[in-house]
Amino acid sequence: MGMDRDEIFQKIQGVLVDALGVDEDEVTAEATLMGDLGAESIDFLDIVFRLEKAFGIKVPREELFPAESLLNNPELVSNGKLTSKGLAELRERVPHTDLSEFEKNPDLSKLADLFTVNAIVTYIDGRLNA
Amino acid sequence: MRWIWIDKFAEFESGRRAVAIKNVTMAEEHLHDHFPGFPVMPECLMIEAMAQTAGILVGEAAGFREKVVLAKISKAVFFDYVRPGDSLRIEAEITTMAIEAASTSGTITRGDQTIAEIELMFSHVDRNLAGKKFPEENFVFTGTFTGLLRDIALNHKRPVAQPTESG
Amino acid sequence: MRFVLIDKIVSLEKGKRLTAVKSVSLSEEYLADHFPTFPVLPGVLLLEGLVESASWLVRLTQDFACSMVLLEQARNVKYKSFMSPGSQIEYTVEAKTIDERVSSFFGHGVVDGQDIVEARIGLRHFNLADRDPAMAGVDGYVIEQMKSRYDLLSGQSLNSD
Repeated sequence: MGMDRDEIFQKIQGVLVDALGVDEDEVTAEATLMGDLGAESIDFLDIVFRLEKAFGIKVPREELFPAESLLNNPELVSNGKLTSKGLAELRERVPHTDLSEFEKNPDLSKLADLFTVNAIVTYIDGRLNA
Repeated sequence: MRWIWIDKFAEFESGRRAVAIKNVTMAEEHLHDHFPGFPVMPECLMIEAMAQTAGILVGEAAGFREKVVLAKISKAVFFDYVRPGDSLRIEAEITTMAIEAASTSGTITRGDQTIAEIELMFSHVDRNLAGKKFPEENFVFTGTFTGLLRDIALNHKRPVAQPTESG
Repeated sequence: MRFVLIDKIVSLEKGKRLTAVKSVSLSEEYLADHFPTFPVLPGVLLLEGLVESASWLVRLTQDFACSMVLLEQARNVKYKSFMSPGSQIEYTVEAKTIDERVSSFFGHGVVDGQDIVEARIGLRHFNLADRDPAMAGVDGYVIEQMKSRYDLLSGQSLNSD
């Protein structure tokens, strides 16, 4: 099933509009899921369920939204920042996301900024065209 | 009043879909506040009718072992208002069933006319909301609903799970 | 039960924002079923509190021009925590748009600083006479009743000089 990036983006846009109740024009490639689009825990599940239906694949939640389990682990997070163990864990979970900026100052509050619509597009692209 | 917003199940396919009926009648007190002079069924109560239909469908699929609560209304859209004397058909299907949550989709119709389209998400309470204290027993699926389900079980070839009676 | 899911309108900026409060009491009958041993305000009644708040903002902004103000759509309504008897929720609704026949809002409810519910709400508003001129009398009656209800909820009288 060859889908190009634009088609994937459009489908994901539709999923996010349905899951988050936002308008299509709010779902830009650079929009952050948590910051700009207001997504939280229950929304991540909603998004994963809809992505699975839309693209006919299984999406382990951890692969798309790893932040949740990282946040509660004291080995991975210390003083509001990811430890080197935490960073390694993150890198493993999200090979599709560019962490170079984040690694300079791995502040938890900035973790949310990483998860953009683009990151989802890249993930799905990777899964479909692997 | 009782917090039951469906009257009976017309169809019940365990783990897949269910159809319930809700009659709207002048005998319901809340209609007279919404609105005085022109009673219409509040849209939020139509959402509740769907939540009960879908919630029982999700709960039964797990043998009523989990406490299932409404976590999110993804979308509820209404196309017309509903009046006393109307009979509504509430159809729900499970779209995804996962360990922590389930999603459902459905429509409410009056005769041939679509009144509402509603998409919901339910959370399995014991696995979420960490740190909150809940009573041990399943307070969600209580005797209130057993009557509704007993009717389906009688007409059904496949067994339909029954909630255990609680306190 | 009486189907009025807010107790008091506490602030109003026509066209923009309204805040209201609702206190929850164990005497509210549906709590006995929702749930036995764990009474909490049903999620759809939290939504109804937001819908009523938004509806009042429409009625006041439009000077009670429409008799019928109904929920047309609710999107991404999230329940973040439970609300128990003995507490009070403050609802805030902010208008995105209020047009003649439709309006849209973002609303949320908070108890003691804790988020309980948030929602995106779209309302539609009209008079029954729009379709059937014979219903103008009913529109008039509904509007008068809602004006009286507003007097109760705001603690003042629309008719006072």
